Amino acid sequence: MNKTRLSVCMMALAACVVAVPVMAHHSGAMFDATREVTLTGTVKEFQYTNPHSWLLVDVKGADGKVTTWGFEAEGPSTLGRAGIRRSDFAPGTPITIKGNPHRDGRPAATWASATRLSDKKEFNPRAGFAVR
Amino acid sequence: MAMLRKRTIWVGVLAVVAAAVGLRFTLAQSDLPDWVAKGDDWPARKQQLQAYGERFKTSDELYQHLRDAAGGGQPLTWSQMGEPAYDWSGVYTRTGGGLEFDLDLAGRPPAKDFLTQVASGKASLATAQLTPAGQKIVQAKAKQLAATGGEYDPISDCRPPGVPRWLTEPFLKEYVVTPNQTWLMNEMVNDVRRVYTDGREHTPVEDAYPSWNGDTIGFWHEGVLVMHTRYLMQGQYQRGLQPDYSEQTTVVERWHKVDERTLQADVWVYDPVNLKAPWYTRQSWTRLTNDDKSLRLRYWDCRENANNLIDKKDDGTSEFKPFDFEKPSTGQGK
Repeated sequence: MNKTRLSVCMMALAACVVAVPVMAHHSGAMFDATREVTLTGTVKEFQYTNPHSWLLVDVKGADGKVTTWGFEAEGPSTLGRAGIRRSDFAPGTPITIKGNPHRDGRPAATWASATRLSDKKEFNPRAGFAVR
Repeated sequence: MAMLRKRTIWVGVLAVVAAAVGLRFTLAQSDLPDWVAKGDDWPARKQQLQAYGERFKTSDELYQHLRDAAGGGQPLTWSQMGEPAYDWSGVYTRTGGGLEFDLDLAGRPPAKDFLTQVASGKASLATAQLTPAGQKIVQAKAKQLAATGGEYDPISDCRPPGVPRWLTEPFLKEYVVTPNQTWLMNEMVNDVRRVYTDGREHTPVEDAYPSWNGDTIGFWHEGVLVMHTRYLMQGQYQRGLQPDYSEQTTVVERWHKVDERTLQADVWVYDPVNLKAPWYTRQSWTRLTNDDKSLRLRYWDCRENANNLIDKKDDGTSEFKPFDFEKPSTGQGK
């Protein structure tokens, strides 16, 4: 079993108001675009659903307690355009994932990028809006 | 003798009618804009197309003018469906992306104090000529965003975006052309616009009712689909600082395939409540590469996953309902 580690990195980015670049069915203002969270853990479930997918990741804290974080991304077709398949994140897959955290402190964030630790492959859901 | 005189009169009447129809057709044809692709002179061309729309008080007049110019249009046949102009197959998405109704504004970063400028009426994120009522709504949106940093988008509960907002949505689209109807399908919330091209007119006003996509009729002329939409519901062109449109909104669209991968539409929106003049924009969609055929339009419903449910807050912003990261989503076939 890979050792999971918690490395939360809150970065103060620009002080100006910047919209979270998610073209969602809802406003993205509940996520804080001025901060970024980076977590390492194992995939609990990849909820490959419309209008948004959620990648649930179990993250073990320094005290050994496991918290399930949810990372929101676009729906299956946009993920597909980014080359992200449901099978890429089977339960138990170790990953490091980055995103903009929820403002109210709940363990949720937008999914900006993720690295699958077994092969170091990177997955960027936002690339799904590229026209090609 | 009397019979001959009668016949002569009838021939004369018919000649006058034919001449009038012909003249109307000729006049309508002679003043059509030069439908060109975007190029170096696009700002000037765009201005011409804007001015063209402004010549007509209503979208009905513009549509009738285009229909006259096309001699009423030409009915399509099934044998034509394989021709490139009518083969709109494939999976498309909005060219250039962005959530601005006017694609020419996509990707332009707003100035630092932009919200304040818009709130005070000194700037706008739209190319529309707004009435005082339309401007007031945009200013109120700017104030809301400046004060709270957020907003509530009505489509958060998976209701349809509605026309004309439909044109801006950045997800997958598919199009099906048939001789009597064309279907414009948006992946988002399983949304289909039906364009009736079988010669029918709009539903009579006394029987009509507003709906998200309204009532659309159209005709074909030389590979171009000209459409007219009315009986719409009120809405907003997009979230953020895009204006609102009213139930009195009507739309003329001129769709055609400009190359193997690009569908393009010239769009004039008329809305006496929010617009001082019709708002002309050019919309465009690009056919995506889909060699492995993995891109497919799927059913889309907010209830697939409870973690996607959104509430409107008292301050006018939006928030997720409580998350449940323990229970598997219902959208996984479990």
